[in-house]
Amino acid sequence: MTWNYSKKTMQLFMDAVHGKPGTHMGEIENADGFGEHGSIACGDALRFTFRVERHPTDPTQDRIVEARYLTFGCTSAIAASEALCALIEEGHFTPIEALKITNQDIANYLDGLPKEKLHCSVMGAEALEAAVFNWAQKRGVDLAALGIDITRKEQEEGRLVCKCFGLTEPYLRRKIVELNLRSIADITHAVKAGGACMSCHHAPGGLQDLLDETWGRQPTTLKQRPEPPLERFVASITGNGLSPYQFAKKVERVLDESVRPQLQQDGGDVEIVDIKDNLVYCRLVGACASCVGATRTLKMMVEQVLKDRVDERIRVIAVDEH
Amino acid sequence: MRIVYADNNATTPVAPEVVEAMAPFFTEAYFNPSSMYEAARGPAAAIAAARASIARHLGAARPEEILFTSCATESNNAALVGAVRANPERRHIVTTAVEHPAVLEVAKELARQGLEVTFVGVDRHGRLDTTAFVRALRPGQTLIVSVMHANNETGVIFPIAELARIVKETDPQILFHTDATQTAGKLPIDLSGELQHVDMLSFSGHKLHAPKGIGALYIRRGTPWHSFLIGGHQEGNRRAGTENVAFIVGLGRALDLVMATREEDERRIAGLRDRLEKELTARIPSVEVNGWEAPRLANTLNLACHFVEGEGMLYQLAAAGICASSGSACTSGSLEPSHVLRAMGVPFTAVHGSIRFSLSRYTTDEDIDRIVEVFPTVVANLRRLSPYWDAKLDKPRPDAEVLLTQALEERRQRLSGPLQPS
Repeated sequence: MTWNYSKKTMQLFMDAVHGKPGTHMGEIENADGFGEHGSIACGDALRFTFRVERHPTDPTQDRIVEARYLTFGCTSAIAASEALCALIEEGHFTPIEALKITNQDIANYLDGLPKEKLHCSVMGAEALEAAVFNWAQKRGVDLAALGIDITRKEQEEGRLVCKCFGLTEPYLRRKIVELNLRSIADITHAVKAGGACMSCHHAPGGLQDLLDETWGRQPTTLKQRPEPPLERFVASITGNGLSPYQFAKKVERVLDESVRPQLQQDGGDVEIVDIKDNLVYCRLVGACASCVGATRTLKMMVEQVLKDRVDERIRVIAVDEH
Repeated sequence: MRIVYADNNATTPVAPEVVEAMAPFFTEAYFNPSSMYEAARGPAAAIAAARASIARHLGAARPEEILFTSCATESNNAALVGAVRANPERRHIVTTAVEHPAVLEVAKELARQGLEVTFVGVDRHGRLDTTAFVRALRPGQTLIVSVMHANNETGVIFPIAELARIVKETDPQILFHTDATQTAGKLPIDLSGELQHVDMLSFSGHKLHAPKGIGALYIRRGTPWHSFLIGGHQEGNRRAGTENVAFIVGLGRALDLVMATREEDERRIAGLRDRLEKELTARIPSVEVNGWEAPRLANTLNLACHFVEGEGMLYQLAAAGICASSGSACTSGSLEPSHVLRAMGVPFTAVHGSIRFSLSRYTTDEDIDRIVEVFPTVVANLRRLSPYWDAKLDKPRPDAEVLLTQALEERRQRLSGPLQPS
């Protein structure tokens, strides 16, 4: 699928991969702020670091002078990382001012993002927030005292709603409000939840329930899918007085007594893949498997023995390995 | 800028010979082949000739066993849905976890309608799990088995002659369908010989240098099957709609063309692919060839590059004039990477970094040189930006090595357990 990326997005991406001067690829050693978001299993991950010019007396007046990123992800994830660093450096912000940068600012800097790619900008804002919290810890700044909500730990705690991307109920509830997410598609585009197996969409306590509880909509009624019929267990070899289990055991015993000793002399063996009614599926293994014509021999020899000693209706089906 | 087209499993350029053969049917020979007047005989005869020729190339016993459709997706839909309609007493379908969506989604839709579907998994090289396949069959209950001839993403070839034999020995009434979209014109297909147990076979024109918008479905005579498209009497009352004369002629001509040089093309393309594979794997660290141990189509190379994402590769390649595909999540409509690579258990550190180069009779040595020149840099560029890669040592960072070990272990465990479809 071709995405309709803006010129700005493509330009930032190309500049980044070619390491043009003015781009922000990298990681600051002994950074004053360090934040990560995403993981490789989820398809994108961002490591964001910044350096500040320290204020001699008041750490809240530190100014961010350098921002760097390392990003695993698609074109727009890399461009959004560039945008984040550029926004911060251009603004000459204090870390607390930088917290005001939202995913929308990042998207605007890129002249817009396809809505399916909004999560790339959200990833940037999340990593920034993590890095600012990290800076506050290092510098002994009490963010809570400044009226900043630092309860982002909730992301790791609480009931898991989207198992594919590891997102919890408190985190999703917060994001639904913060980013004004009104539909399941909105949630998926912004934070990826529900974008893979989709089983959390309408499950009890799933995305639709969270949306309804937040925005007060009536739950939609779901069409129940018909349950697939249970596989019936039919003992259809009748007349020989054996249950399927006894039948299988007898086939195995006869193979052990009359077929395997010969094959094993030649360094081979025969394996039963399955038994369905009177059909016995066999595979030659070991030295026999590579023997030309072995399959035909197997069928004739094994089938005759089983017909003679177990049930004359037995048919052997040879199964080759690939 | 010169374009290097290495995405032939997506579509192929139409051969000039095919365009030439089609041209008269847009202009002087535009008549409806169903019409009664003399002038309409030309188009009707052209269709008959194309049908006969295609039947011959596939080893079909009779030309009437070939139906023309609009594409392989229609052929696959028609095969499965038509079989279900004609056999209402059977309610179980067997297919694989790695089919093209044109089969996979139809199977899922039939499951929603109440049929039971078993999806058979593959191993880490993309080979079908034959034990699971055998166990999935239910004599007296299974209606149809649909297994692709070769996979579009990895090029891995399935032993459909063998699988169809097992199906028919299990229960001759179980139908066997194969999606041969990636193999028609590339592999020998003999429906009277090796593939004598195959009842239905789908393919399309645009993968073999005919245009998009034309496909075919082989239905062996005597197969219980109901029409999918209803309307006029065309195609022996089995596929309504005025025949797409020019495109049918094009499909016939294209198959003539590729079959005439099939073996030598295959040898030459295999040489190019093998060189591409060798040179890229030598130049790029931490890269895997998906399906390398399985029999593969000569034209397909699917690589998984650890710690990078596929979409960024495609845009850089496109900037250098190279067209290829990726199974990464970002290139699909969803947030999940390719169902084929996941079914193969490609580790999560590499599943987002897959790339597919697919060649054709028009691919040249220079094309391969160009990819070899550009692609390693493309990967290196992205790895320089990746938090998992040490650009100086050109290897994964220590913490990423841990991830890699974990990913490989996960794959090992996953593959020893039962495989689930997406």
